[in-house]
Amino acid sequence: MKALIFPNSNESSAYAKRYGYHDWIISRFLQFIPDLGYLLEKLDEEPQKYIRVNTLKISISELKASLQEKGFELADTLLPEVFAIKKATFPIGATIEYLLGYYYIQDISSCFAVEALDLKENHSVLDMAASPGGKTTLIAQKMKNTGCVVALESSFKRIRSISFNLARCGITNACVYNMDGQHAVKLNMKFDRVLLDAPCSCEGVIGKDKTRKTSHKPEDIEFCGTNQLRLIESALKVVKHDGLLIYSTCSFAPEENELIVNSMLEKFDVEIEPLQYGSEGLIRFGQYRFHPSLRNSRRLYPHIHNTTGFYIAKLRVR
Amino acid sequence: LYRRPTREEITIVKRAFNKWGIFSFFRDKPLLINERKTDKQKEIYLLSSDLEQLIIDREPCIAGLKIGELKKKFIPSLQGADLIARTSNKFPYILVNEMSEQRVVYGKNILGESIIEKSEMLDENQLVILLNKKRETIGIGRTRVSSRYLLQHGKATVTTLVDIGSYLRNE
Repeated sequence: MKALIFPNSNESSAYAKRYGYHDWIISRFLQFIPDLGYLLEKLDEEPQKYIRVNTLKISISELKASLQEKGFELADTLLPEVFAIKKATFPIGATIEYLLGYYYIQDISSCFAVEALDLKENHSVLDMAASPGGKTTLIAQKMKNTGCVVALESSFKRIRSISFNLARCGITNACVYNMDGQHAVKLNMKFDRVLLDAPCSCEGVIGKDKTRKTSHKPEDIEFCGTNQLRLIESALKVVKHDGLLIYSTCSFAPEENELIVNSMLEKFDVEIEPLQYGSEGLIRFGQYRFHPSLRNSRRLYPHIHNTTGFYIAKLRVR
Repeated sequence: LYRRPTREEITIVKRAFNKWGIFSFFRDKPLLINERKTDKQKEIYLLSSDLEQLIIDREPCIAGLKIGELKKKFIPSLQGADLIARTSNKFPYILVNEMSEQRVVYGKNILGESIIEKSEMLDENQLVILLNKKRETIGIGRTRVSSRYLLQHGKATVTTLVDIGSYLRNE
């Protein structure tokens, strides 16, 4: 499916010129992003960094005290195990506590996606695009190292980073397969929970990588959308009856988010359940009209939620 | 390929776990052996029970947590050493000061004057778990001298074999 392109306006051209974006990106953003000026301003700032406490190895209060003793300033967030870093006296990826696996550097938006899985001990979980392992390790942590987490990664090179993170965090209930999520049925297994954090055009992380303001092309959205459709269909085939699929991306593009989930509503017996954090999902975009339950899905915006741009949908399989 | 340990391997592992003070901790825990294709080295992995059932006939790239290697003896990995230090109360260790902690995570050896506590009887050439002041596992070392000479000033008395900084250096 092609990315919708909208005509430029004086407003879009002014924003594009002021913040250094291609016109087509801004014209699209104006259709669905609230307070766009604030978003563009926010994306030019240093993004908020978060750490997630690995409660398999240390308690939340112990880690907080340990980092504060070293001069770190941490702020509480909506999730008890996640802190926003307000001041760091050392690089946060090089402290003894990091090396000991006491925390993981992870945006809170990813933690919301795992939170949405409603994990219980002894669940079987599939993480369909696992590298570098942030969500995999959080899933394992939430299950207290019980049950099993199957992580898929299509690139053999990237498995090394998952391996490093699983070991550092002391994970005993996870395994990794060098497999494209599209072939998940070959595992010959059904799962209580499936997480598909789909490879995407990464519009939501422009704040971390400013080159995307001009390197991003409409074809990226089209390419990713096609791939995401294949992945989500594959994911739905391996969820147990009454199980959950969490679909997420770090893109703002409705063609990679609501449109993908909407097409699954037409094809599978699934329902979209409400989520706690974020703004409502879209029910219209350009000529597209989506099922009203898409409102239950969630959009996270850097200027509103202080996260990377993110989308999450929770699908219950009937 | 992950497989269940043979009777002979179980005997070696049990004996080693007893020596490191972790026999009861591992009593009901599933362990699998992964024999590396390249050098036939046997690695021991700790897994959840469900994971063990799942992978035994589906070959994954990685499964569970590597707790050590099995040669003629059991040699703990960094993660295995961490488990030992958390669960056992009779294991050989060296506890170092903050300055030495920084040196260890850069892979440097341990100077006698930086040791602030150690196990009672340590032989020369003995494997020891390296702890920081908070008794956290920062590495595995090998003594260069026996107990009575370990605290010698101006001399590296313990060789750092592996340390938690290697995660970053190897990345």
